[in-house]
Amino acid sequence: MENTVQVKNKNSLLRRMWKAREIYMLLIPGIIWYIIFAYIPMYGLTLAFKTYKANLGIFGSPWVGMVNFTYVFRDPAFFESVWKTLYINAGRILFQFPVPIILALMLNEVRVGRYKKIVQTIFTFPHFLSWIIVASIMINILNMQGMVNGIIRMIGWEPINFLGSTKIFLPMLYITENWKSAGWIMIIYMAAIAGIDTEQYESAQLDGASRLQQIWYITLPGIQSTIVVMFILAIGNIMNAGFDQIFNITNAATVKAGEILDMYIYRITFQSAADFSFSSAVSLFRSVVNFIMLLLADRVCKWLGAEGLFPSPRKMR
Amino acid sequence: MQQEAKSTRRKRLELLDMIFLVILTLLALAIVIPFLNVLAISFATQQEYLRSSVLLVPMEMTLENYKALFQDGRIWIGYRTTLLFLLFGVPLNMFLSTSMAYGLSRPDFPFKRFFVYFVVLTMLFSGGIVPMYLLMRELHLINTIWSVVLVYGINTFYLIIMMNYFRSLPNEIMESAKIDGAGEWRILFKIVLPISMPIIATMTLFYSVDRWNEWFNAMIFIRKNNLVALQLALRSIVIDSQISQQLNVSNVQTDQRFSDGMKMAAVIVTMLPIMCVFPFLQRYFVKGMLVGAIKA
Repeated sequence: MENTVQVKNKNSLLRRMWKAREIYMLLIPGIIWYIIFAYIPMYGLTLAFKTYKANLGIFGSPWVGMVNFTYVFRDPAFFESVWKTLYINAGRILFQFPVPIILALMLNEVRVGRYKKIVQTIFTFPHFLSWIIVASIMINILNMQGMVNGIIRMIGWEPINFLGSTKIFLPMLYITENWKSAGWIMIIYMAAIAGIDTEQYESAQLDGASRLQQIWYITLPGIQSTIVVMFILAIGNIMNAGFDQIFNITNAATVKAGEILDMYIYRITFQSAADFSFSSAVSLFRSVVNFIMLLLADRVCKWLGAEGLFPSPRKMR
Repeated sequence: MQQEAKSTRRKRLELLDMIFLVILTLLALAIVIPFLNVLAISFATQQEYLRSSVLLVPMEMTLENYKALFQDGRIWIGYRTTLLFLLFGVPLNMFLSTSMAYGLSRPDFPFKRFFVYFVVLTMLFSGGIVPMYLLMRELHLINTIWSVVLVYGINTFYLIIMMNYFRSLPNEIMESAKIDGAGEWRILFKIVLPISMPIIATMTLFYSVDRWNEWFNAMIFIRKNNLVALQLALRSIVIDSQISQQLNVSNVQTDQRFSDGMKMAAVIVTMLPIMCVFPFLQRYFVKGMLVGAIKA
């Protein structure tokens, strides 16, 4: 009796799959791409537990267990880069994360529609330029002959070597990153603000709430869930401290100050004698930490009562 | 309606408005002025650049910088390579993303959830550049444009935006086409794409900008002097020569090969296409991201 039911189910599954065969045909090109260019490299991280032999390839290289990790954890440069990554990212959360929120709150209060649109266009534009272009512009205005030092000289101060000093390297990172992308992230918060029910403001006004009070008690709570999602994403990137930016904005004088984990991986893989197993071990460490932090941040936010990044699977469909 | 409610909310120009306006205007200027400075320097002579402290309008306009830049030749190679990335890359992006997004947007079919997780997992966990480089070596794609074209086939974030868009289309149209005997591919091309032009245009734009800005993959996978990507050509002209400057203590005019004007001309030439299209297409960019941000 049970057996026949199972057979029937199997048949109906096969029949349903046959009915959906054209949908599978649609998926096939994409799936092939994902397997080759996402899942094989993901599997390639198992090189962390192998010694890479060029003639045997990713799949054929022999397993060696945890040896590579013992080398990685013996390298002081590795720990230094991890520490630097965390340190730079802590600064990013402090000095970059709030900026788009503040911009959105301010721009939202502007009433002149045309002005608002122009400012928005200007703010979002630099996001669409590569870090190479932005770094070129920054080098141009911040070098000793540049515009900013020109102004400083006009005031009568000593010019500052913005790009060659390790002391102000971190502030420069935060300022240039904000210059490039704060305006773009602002758009996300602007959209969240636009979704707030305007009736709330009207009744607040009847109660005599000031503009600042309205921002504090209505607008900010209204975009709380967006802020939480952005925060989770920031935590999930804790091991990425902005390779594109640092790679292009550092120079011989500041490269030490900017040796984040990704720079370390790049340096050991592509600049010195490459040991791909060693690099894979570091990469695996990086991916795993990012993944765990993302899930952890999501859990903590849900535990605190906010809606997390991943809705429960049932809600997703 | 919403506008009306807002305007009754605030009747006069208050002090707060003034403060916000001043701050926002100053920030906007902080973005615009560096661009004007770059533009001015690209048309100025080296003498004028060194003389002036804040150069926004050059007194003696010159095209020498651009002439020198195009004579150097690297920018031509860069343009050619990056245009090849666009020419082959963007159609591939659109083909892979559209077909997969449409497939995943179809109502329930067996293993649908598996495929969705299959896609989403790649956003959470990635192999990174080291195995990717080895893979490219094993596929013998190093030093060809195909490595760069193929490695960025689908951007999963864009894929999800498209999927959500297709899902919001009324299903009846597709159903009735199916009753008329059209296959899914036919429905996609004949019915879905024509009514999805806004999202198709937006995604084409996003992918094109990404391709235009491609440098990291190109730097890793292509090490041939006649296949240098545009962004990397710019990098070699501006940033690499700056590094030699920083090493020198007296950093005025150390690198005689490139005048500052020529470097800035290279910056202008590299960002010109984006600069030209951006003001007109800005709302598409914004709309595209918002669809994703709200639904994702």
